[in-house]
Amino acid sequence: MLEVKDLRAGFDGSEIIKGISLSVKAGEVHAIMGPNGSGKSTLAKVLAGHPSYEVTGGEISFNGENLLEIEPEQRALKGIFMGFQYPVEIPGVNNAEFLRMAYNARLVNEGQEELDPLDFDDILTEKMKMLSMEKKYRERNLNDGFSGGEKKKNEILQMAILQPKLAVLDETDSGLDIDALRVVSDGVNKLKSADNALILITHYQRLLEYIQPDFVHVLSQGKIVKSGEKGLALELEAQGYDWLTPTN
Amino acid sequence: MTTTLIDAAEQAEAALLILHKKFMSGNRPPDALAPLNEAALKHFELLKFPHRKHEMYTFVNTKDLVATAFALTAEGSVTEDFIKSHVFPECESSYLVFVDGVLKGDLSDFSAIESAIAIVPIEEAVGQADIKEHLVDTIEKENDVFASINSAFLGEGTLIDVSAKKQVTSPLQILHVSTGTPSGKVTSHPRVLVRLGEMAELKMIVKYVGVQGNYFVNSVMDLLVGEQAGVTFAQVQEDATDAWHFSKTRVLQGRNSRVKAVNAFFGNKLTRHHFEAHLKDVGAELTLNNVSVLNEQEQAHHFVRIHHESPHTRSGQKFKNIVNDKSRSSVDGTVIVNQGAQQTFSDQLINNLMLSDDAHADNKPNLMIFADDVKCTHGATVGQLDENQLFYLKTRGLSEKVAKELLTKSFAESIIQTIDFPGVVQYLENTLLKKLEN
Ligand SMILES: Nc1ncnc2c1ncn2[C@@H]1O[C@H](COP(=O)(O)OP(=O)(O)OP(=O)(O)O)[C@@H](O)[C@H]1O
Ligand SMILES: [Mg+2]
Repeated sequence: MLEVKDLRAGFDGSEIIKGISLSVKAGEVHAIMGPNGSGKSTLAKVLAGHPSYEVTGGEISFNGENLLEIEPEQRALKGIFMGFQYPVEIPGVNNAEFLRMAYNARLVNEGQEELDPLDFDDILTEKMKMLSMEKKYRERNLNDGFSGGEKKKNEILQMAILQPKLAVLDETDSGLDIDALRVVSDGVNKLKSADNALILITHYQRLLEYIQPDFVHVLSQGKIVKSGEKGLALELEAQGYDWLTPTN
Repeated sequence: MTTTLIDAAEQAEAALLILHKKFMSGNRPPDALAPLNEAALKHFELLKFPHRKHEMYTFVNTKDLVATAFALTAEGSVTEDFIKSHVFPECESSYLVFVDGVLKGDLSDFSAIESAIAIVPIEEAVGQADIKEHLVDTIEKENDVFASINSAFLGEGTLIDVSAKKQVTSPLQILHVSTGTPSGKVTSHPRVLVRLGEMAELKMIVKYVGVQGNYFVNSVMDLLVGEQAGVTFAQVQEDATDAWHFSKTRVLQGRNSRVKAVNAFFGNKLTRHHFEAHLKDVGAELTLNNVSVLNEQEQAHHFVRIHHESPHTRSGQKFKNIVNDKSRSSVDGTVIVNQGAQQTFSDQLINNLMLSDDAHADNKPNLMIFADDVKCTHGATVGQLDENQLFYLKTRGLSEKVAKELLTKSFAESIIQTIDFPGVVQYLENTLLKKLEN
């Protein structure tokens, strides 16, 4: 599904991603862990097409198609979803209306008719129930004044509505209390199928108890320095990252 | 030989004096008002038309306006359908229509609030000592030449009087219609005084519209807000694009009074709004929010002076201006905290969104503080759309065009949503925000 080959990317001439290769197949869950500043979020944003980052080498293909040539919105329409580590606040944009616009953009792209607010409401209600989100969040403005945890839930709500093929969740667990983490993980697990894939960026083993990864990768200084199965996450939690940090 | 700007202004001043003579002899203002007219004219001669470097007109070029010869408006006609289309749903039986500054009883309907307010012609109201004193005093102290001109031509003003403890439950709409003319240029000087007695409450919507262009509306509204009284109002400036709109809102606030104002500007050839507030007594609170959306060559300028004259007073101001194409906006806003006005809180935030390189957005936020125990902040930004917000929306599949439009609208929405009248909110979403679609 996703093939990343020797990807190099950076910001203002400084290289942050220094040659990453990663292969994700349908049905798989990959976890990416690693110390602060190692480039995890940068990788996620490059996958989503953030214009601030310059790709200086390598390839990204998604279902055989070169992602690097297409805009963020087209990547989204092809089924890539990024859950932001720091979801952006957009005052003045109603949450429910925004969700409907995003949902309809997907429908229109697939040649279907847009849903009117009433029909969409049913979908929204169901998804919000799944995430134990109170009704008031539909009337609020997009992430505006949301707490850290509320923002993360709202990201997963968007994922639930857009049903992506590949979701890259950047530290969705940070800021969630234990109950919210359980609800969100249950939600993500329900959305999982043999046809879609998940990349979880996290610092905590705890998330990986709820959502079991098939592979765990350790990112350090812009490179994947170790890959393994889910046991690796336990080792990391016990020993930290120092033993893996490249010495050069 | 070149004519300098000063010469042009002198000519314009001479022309205004002639126009005023005509007004005093031809239109014959009521006897009770004539001395006020004369006093205001004297004051006009003192202030004079602004020249380029006038400190109150730093960002506003009045050259063309001043050089234009205006006739006093011959009353044009306006249809009932036109009026109906501009009355907000919450005001169906609580609106007053002013056509070229003249209150039209037959076009108005305020049956819903008849028992709560008194509508008094200004020539009658001036018989009340405090109203007269207010007029005399403000004419003398006036610093804005266009407001002086308004008083010099005061003939048809109206006092809206809400007596002590009265609560006006339905919002009152004041609809100012300028009829304009297809040929020569005309001017009108609407004048409304609103007085709230102790503990009175009023909700009000003021809207300016034009039947056709070619006019200069030069309006003044005074709000005298008594102790513990509250006014919530919205002003919508939607004059003909081919028109000049100058208006002044003067607010005098008593002890523990609350005023909340939201102004929305569509802009036109030249719109300038002067908001002058005096928080005269302890505990007075003022909120002033403003939004403008300007395209093409439209202009809308704010000139704001907030005077904190007593301790424990509060003011908060927000401005959101969107400028596209070659449009221009400006905010010249000063908060003055008088000596002794301790424990004053004031904040002012000006945000400008530039959608084109040829647009202009000028800011001059300023604080003049003569007390030591106060908390005052101000800030101004001029920027383009936020790249991270744009990216966020695009990662959800929204196209660049849709995402930009949504963000631009949301910028204005954050002010529009502070309006307490759903009909006005909806109206602005359908009209003002429509200007952002293309
Ligand atoms: N927009 C930017 N401008 C400047 N430097 C940046 C920018 N984005 C990322 N960086 C730098 O790139 C490096 C990697 O950042 P990134 O956010 O990808 O780390 P991370 O692995 O997600 O860290 P964390 O675990 O703290 O979220 C950091 O040194 C960071 O300061
Ligand atoms: Mg990160």
